[in-house]
Amino acid sequence: MSDKSDDAISEKILNAAKNNPKGISAKDVAAAVPELSSAELVAAINKLLQQGLFDLYNQGGSLLYKLKNQNTKTAIKGADNEEKVVFNLIEEAGNKGIWIRDIRHRSNLANTQLTKVLKSLEGKKVIKAVKCVNASKKKVYMLYNLEPDRSISGGAWYQDQDFESEFVDILNRQCLRFLQQRADKIKNNPRGPIVGRTQSFATAAEVQKYITDLGISKVKLEVEDVITILNTLVYDGKAESNVYPDGSKVYRAIESLIPPPGLVQVPCGVCPLVYKCCSTGLITPQDCKYMSAWLDQ
Amino acid sequence: MTHQLGRVVSQILGRHFGEIVQQVGNDLFMYGSKTIGMIVKTTGLPRTQVIESLRTLLKFDLATFEADATVEYKLNSENILLLIRYPRYLLQMKSKYGSEAEMIVEELLQQASCTATVLLVTVMNKYKDDKEKNLNIVNLKDTFISLATAGYIQQAPVAELKDGSEIPILVPVATIVPDLDVRDLMQAMTSNLADCKDNTYWKVNYDRFHLDFRDDMMIKAITRRIDENAGELMRLMLEQMYLSSSAWAVESSPAAACDLRDLALRVHDRPLLHAHVDHYLKVLEENGASFIRRAGDAGGGQYVVRTKRAAEQLLEALLDHTVTERLGSKAARIFRLIRSKKYIEEEDIQKNAMLPNKECKELTYKLLEEHLISVQPMRKAASAGGSAKAIYLYHVKLYDAAHAARELCLRAAHNVSRVSSATRAAHARLLDKQRRVRSIVHGMRVRGEPQQNIDDVLETLTPPELSAVSGAERRLRALSAAELELDRALFLISCYFAFPR
Ligand code: SF4
Repeated sequence: MSDKSDDAISEKILNAAKNNPKGISAKDVAAAVPELSSAELVAAINKLLQQGLFDLYNQGGSLLYKLKNQNTKTAIKGADNEEKVVFNLIEEAGNKGIWIRDIRHRSNLANTQLTKVLKSLEGKKVIKAVKCVNASKKKVYMLYNLEPDRSISGGAWYQDQDFESEFVDILNRQCLRFLQQRADKIKNNPRGPIVGRTQSFATAAEVQKYITDLGISKVKLEVEDVITILNTLVYDGKAESNVYPDGSKVYRAIESLIPPPGLVQVPCGVCPLVYKCCSTGLITPQDCKYMSAWLDQ
Repeated sequence: MTHQLGRVVSQILGRHFGEIVQQVGNDLFMYGSKTIGMIVKTTGLPRTQVIESLRTLLKFDLATFEADATVEYKLNSENILLLIRYPRYLLQMKSKYGSEAEMIVEELLQQASCTATVLLVTVMNKYKDDKEKNLNIVNLKDTFISLATAGYIQQAPVAELKDGSEIPILVPVATIVPDLDVRDLMQAMTSNLADCKDNTYWKVNYDRFHLDFRDDMMIKAITRRIDENAGELMRLMLEQMYLSSSAWAVESSPAAACDLRDLALRVHDRPLLHAHVDHYLKVLEENGASFIRRAGDAGGGQYVVRTKRAAEQLLEALLDHTVTERLGSKAARIFRLIRSKKYIEEEDIQKNAMLPNKECKELTYKLLEEHLISVQPMRKAASAGGSAKAIYLYHVKLYDAAHAARELCLRAAHNVSRVSSATRAAHARLLDKQRRVRSIVHGMRVRGEPQQNIDDVLETLTPPELSAVSGAERRLRALSAAELELDRALFLISCYFAFPR
């Protein structure tokens, strides 16, 4: 497909969209350019999305493409040149946002001036500042109507840029419970261990469904998110994962190979002072409180 | 040879052989090897006592000597550690061969080494009044023979004199299962033991026990991970392994699936195993913590037992438990994460472990501090800006971590044994009194004296004394149980060290 015909197609689609300010569905697009195969169509739409000409909406389960509101552009109208430059930089950055230092660098504006411009743009609700999860001090700017990228917002695990470790803990526990419910299926299964093993495995999708049905999560968790949680179980040593022939990941709860060893059954094994504990001196086994408490229990 | 080992060894020697041997042991441990004269000089003990101590140590294989121009003595600390394992040996004997075997091994452990005749006759005489045990010399002899056949006891090395030298060297000999004549034994029982002609000496073969313990660990682990049938299969594979490979080989030589199948079918009471042998093999291979591996397809599949890998896996499980209990389950998560990724950057740890930044860093540094993980700085090639930032890769050096765990175990073992000797010392008078009362009462019961008199004797222990003494006894019991458990952990770690790195 040459560039020229590419442009022609884009134009046709754009025209169709212009005529339907409420948005057009994929079917409408196909009707506007009937000569394209579905793969080519997807490519063409993706390109337009990339150029930022389209917005994507989810309406009643079907996707709608809507020509981008020109408001943002108009809001800029009446702004001075500096604002325009800064706006363009921020727009370019998309939903990954742009760091203030990079703006300064590339716009060649002085610090104070830049702050003023940003303030004013923020005031007009054209742009917003978003805190970055992996660097607490770092703020990035992006257009007001954009949803921050996962790398910036951290996805489901972050609320206002704070990592929600309790939420993760709860999910971790719930996932484990789900896996444990079926873990015993492998033991002495009358239909043999392979069937038993299959029964004790759970796919990530099953776990996701279980978690969703529990209703403990306010945000919608994708299968990917659940896999992240399930992986923490693997690192906890409480589950193992396998891959099914069709490529989907499955998990099953396991127990440690050995019961708690003797080392952790005596106070010294868990004692924070163990490296300071000597035959003589302030900390000695003979007058150890932990020891006597343990022996008297 | 670490400081911690020295502390434990000293404690053990003190408890089993008293203060003088302990002093000599400490001295030997500190200096590596020494002559008698040197020991006398540094310890300040009389020469006769030093010699006496050395004799004890040598007798129990707790020290060795090397003869050059002078004779230098050396402590065998590994064997001293085994002294705390004795109860476990006995238990193993009792459960596997019954109480007669237990008595034989117990006697042999006490004697260090002795001839079959003396051994059996002593055991017989010791327990002949005991109606419950109901010993008879024929059974005892048979047990002895089966123990020798199974290798739990072996012939002691014999001393040989080299030409022109007065110092004997010990030469190990191959064990020949003896043919003991019951009539001779009977005769020896009535006559004086000193003039019996038997001169083949026997001793306990610790390694044989250790194989049992190791197998047991592996089988239990598989049972926990899959089920009893898989555990049984594991046992069969290990049995098969001993037929064809050396016990501490890194991997066994391959066993054919059809042989294993035949063996499995011969096991009683395992209908599930009979019905699904092949499935069990497959599950064991895929989900059995990589204890076994499929080595080829010949003869319906060849399987190999990966003993070294198993030891590593078990060690890792031990480390995981230790980290969990010491630093919490989050730290254990980080620890396992680092281990499974081999090398990992700090940022990725946080991302994968799903922990808040600060907590994650803190735990990582704690792990580092306890020598359970290590860090490897890597310089990135200087970028154009000249900011050559080093990245730090975390990883687990299993060998080092195992050492750290071993040190911890030794520290704990020392502390436990220290506390128990302190407890014993603090209640020495009472414990002694109780022992005396008990033996008097026992004597009176045997003589059939009236209950009234017995009660009188019993009352010499006042109620507060009784409660103090029973408290102390309870503590001592808890401590020795703890010691046994610690020894199990030490054994697991030593299994890992038994393989080449
Ligand atoms: S004896 Fe007490 S202080 Fe010393 S290591 Fe053990 S528990 Fe800690």
